[in-house]
Amino acid sequence: MTGNRNARTREDDRPSDTDVSDAEGERRLLATWATPRTLKGVLSTVDHKIIGRRYIATAFVFLILGGLLALAMRLQLAAPEARFIGPDRYNQIFTMHGSTMMFLFAVPVMEAVGVFLVPLMIGTRNIAFPRLNAFSYWIFLSGGILLWVSFALDVGPDVGWFAYVPLAGPEFSPGKRADIWAQMITFTELAALAVAVELVATILKQRAPGMSLDRIPVFVWAMLVTSFLIIMAMPAIMIASSTLILDRLVGTQFYNPAEGGDALLWQHLFWFFGHPEVYIIFLPAVGMVSTIIPTFAGRPIFGYLPLVMALIATGILSFGLWVHHMFTTGLPRLGESFFTASSMSIAIPAGVQIFCWIATLWAGRPQLKTPLLFVCGFIFTFVLGGMTGVMVASVPLDTQVHDTYFVVAHFHYVLIGGALFPLIAAVYYWLPKVSGRMMSERLGRIVFALIFLGFHGTFFPMHFLGLMGMPRRVYTYQPEMGWGGLNLFVSLSALVLAAGFLLFFIDAIRSARSGPLAGPNPWNAPTLEWATSSPPPAYNFRRIPVVTSANPLWDNGETLPVAGGLNIDRRELLVSSVVEALPEARESSPTDSIWPFWAAMATSILLITSIFTPWAVVWGSIPVAITLIGWFWPKGEPEDEA
Amino acid sequence: MGSSGGRRRSGWSVASGTLSLCGVTLCCLACATALGWMRAPRQFRTDPPLQADLGNLRLLPNRIGGTPPESYFALGKPYEKVAYDLSQGKRLYTWFGCATCHGDGRGNIGPSFLDGWWLYGPEMISVAASIRDGRPHGMPAYRDRMTNDQIWQLAGYVRTIGAYGPSVSATARNDDPQTRPAENRGPASILFEQGPAGMKPEQGPSP
Repeated sequence: MTGNRNARTREDDRPSDTDVSDAEGERRLLATWATPRTLKGVLSTVDHKIIGRRYIATAFVFLILGGLLALAMRLQLAAPEARFIGPDRYNQIFTMHGSTMMFLFAVPVMEAVGVFLVPLMIGTRNIAFPRLNAFSYWIFLSGGILLWVSFALDVGPDVGWFAYVPLAGPEFSPGKRADIWAQMITFTELAALAVAVELVATILKQRAPGMSLDRIPVFVWAMLVTSFLIIMAMPAIMIASSTLILDRLVGTQFYNPAEGGDALLWQHLFWFFGHPEVYIIFLPAVGMVSTIIPTFAGRPIFGYLPLVMALIATGILSFGLWVHHMFTTGLPRLGESFFTASSMSIAIPAGVQIFCWIATLWAGRPQLKTPLLFVCGFIFTFVLGGMTGVMVASVPLDTQVHDTYFVVAHFHYVLIGGALFPLIAAVYYWLPKVSGRMMSERLGRIVFALIFLGFHGTFFPMHFLGLMGMPRRVYTYQPEMGWGGLNLFVSLSALVLAAGFLLFFIDAIRSARSGPLAGPNPWNAPTLEWATSSPPPAYNFRRIPVVTSANPLWDNGETLPVAGGLNIDRRELLVSSVVEALPEARESSPTDSIWPFWAAMATSILLITSIFTPWAVVWGSIPVAITLIGWFWPKGEPEDEA
Repeated sequence: MGSSGGRRRSGWSVASGTLSLCGVTLCCLACATALGWMRAPRQFRTDPPLQADLGNLRLLPNRIGGTPPESYFALGKPYEKVAYDLSQGKRLYTWFGCATCHGDGRGNIGPSFLDGWWLYGPEMISVAASIRDGRPHGMPAYRDRMTNDQIWQLAGYVRTIGAYGPSVSATARNDDPQTRPAENRGPASILFEQGPAGMKPEQGPSP
């Protein structure tokens, strides 16, 4: 009952949850925290579960759209000299595919899973800065709509997802296509930075009492490291995209070598973000895997400390690798050697993680349910992708296979194998918590078989295509090249992969509609999110749990110790100390507000119109200022006091 | 621990709000696709019959002014406003050495494009005819060196050099040493000096 002392030290005439009966307390908590089911309620909610769900669903819509583009490319490449898609459209399609998957799917979906799960896993009632969270979602949605509406209007970017200058610069990219890409980057980075700040604050200051740093679930550790990576990596790309748009629109000279600029500066800025980006996508997946494996192995994770250290080491190392994307740009030999060594050294923490997972499975009694199947598929695929990663870390080999399908195969192995497989495992694992209903185990096995076989059939032959010299980003090839057979096989396998995803989405929607009820803890998992009902109530926990071990639901038996004393008539949560999670204060949590939505709309209008005239920054800042004033103006609510 | 406050709502109704948001997104996309369908895609290589028709300039007898070919209107007059064609025109301006006589637009031994004075009128067709057929006092004919659509692209670009208002689709700066603000920066006449402009009839030899 550690919360009580703090609660009573303050002058307070409102009742706390210890003063009323359980049923009365729940009713009043719901009245305090629930989102009204009106249009205004939908637009102004700050509930991390609702926003996280929206974020995830939107990101999956972008996954479907990006996947359809991939199928379009495979259709075009299935036969030599095919004429389904012309070169201009093809350039747009591969750019849209990469940009959508990286900026509108992979990063947002990982953060969104964090937005949904982290507050539940650490036992708090809402994420920190919940209105910023709402703002972040609307900004993300606007950026995605901007990109896709532009593509539908035939002004989609056509310069590759990394938009190298001079190709993306003012001279060689006419029209608004590259500007739209650069501004879409600004949208998604803004959204990502907002979420990263919230997650850091939530994880460091809102943990349930007793959840000291060595009792945090590994997924939460992974989100913490990821959030720090985002905070340090994303500013580089925001500077890059802003300077690119300045070069293009107002004639600055950042990337013009003839006027003292530097074209290579773009690649440095981009990859200083771009390589950590890979780990921003991968580390949450590591966290998901490390959370799913113990549940199905029936024992705590093997090597919690080395795993967490490996997460942090990967995060730090990820900032020392970016030049391996630039080995063919003619950098000094010493630099190339350094970045070869640092690139290979990332295999050490990755190896530690993989051995910890294998040891956990080895020492436990694994139940091969669908989530664990996908985790096993992840381990197999990711190790293969890691192997080719060590290969392309070597300068001579990289010089040979640079810009060929070998690289395409490599990064699809690490991204799909390293992030998408764990994500699907996570959907099978956590969807019962989100919707309260189970997904089908039988369909899950078919989905896994289709996705696993389809994936390897699609991407393994690309290694050979790359070694045979097939370059990336070509819209067609000649019959004499001898690539036709393998490409046809790849395209057919892509259909198998697509069928797997189709079945997966059907299963997910069917489950959310009519799946068997899950109950609070269907997998007998040890972490706190399973301590509340499925789906969780708006206030997450009736009382804040007190944590006494790293696996609270396994080690505490039937009942968890809880802390009481939080106010139930205003939104209130417990702030705890960084290291030991000792309770420090009761802190009010912001209520629903429509202003983040309006602020996001004003920001979107500013950013989109600034593509057309620099004066938009001046005039557009007025509505932004008005909406921000509205956002922060005190409304006289009980939450405003302290 | 935890209560069943949320269980009253089925998983499906929980998801419906999210799905309707996705629906709005997809509707935006569908509308944009319909609009995009009506736009002409960027053509890297013009169809040969179109290419031939673009050469049918119907000029007045004095070879100043006239009517562009029907296909020019059928295409929607792209060469005056489409960013891709303007940027191709800018590239042709460099490749065909226009700067040798016309400088960066301020003129040199040839006339300036910035001073608002067009010796043969400001219409697209007159500029295109000047490029294709040449003009007295040193302007060579490019009809055997450029394709018809390239001539239109170059004409379109030349007309933006001295535009009084910057167009959204005007070209940006090149990755070269800069001698003048780019065409998309603002009215050329207020941004920099217009150049010698020595070819006006009252100042120099009459064409």
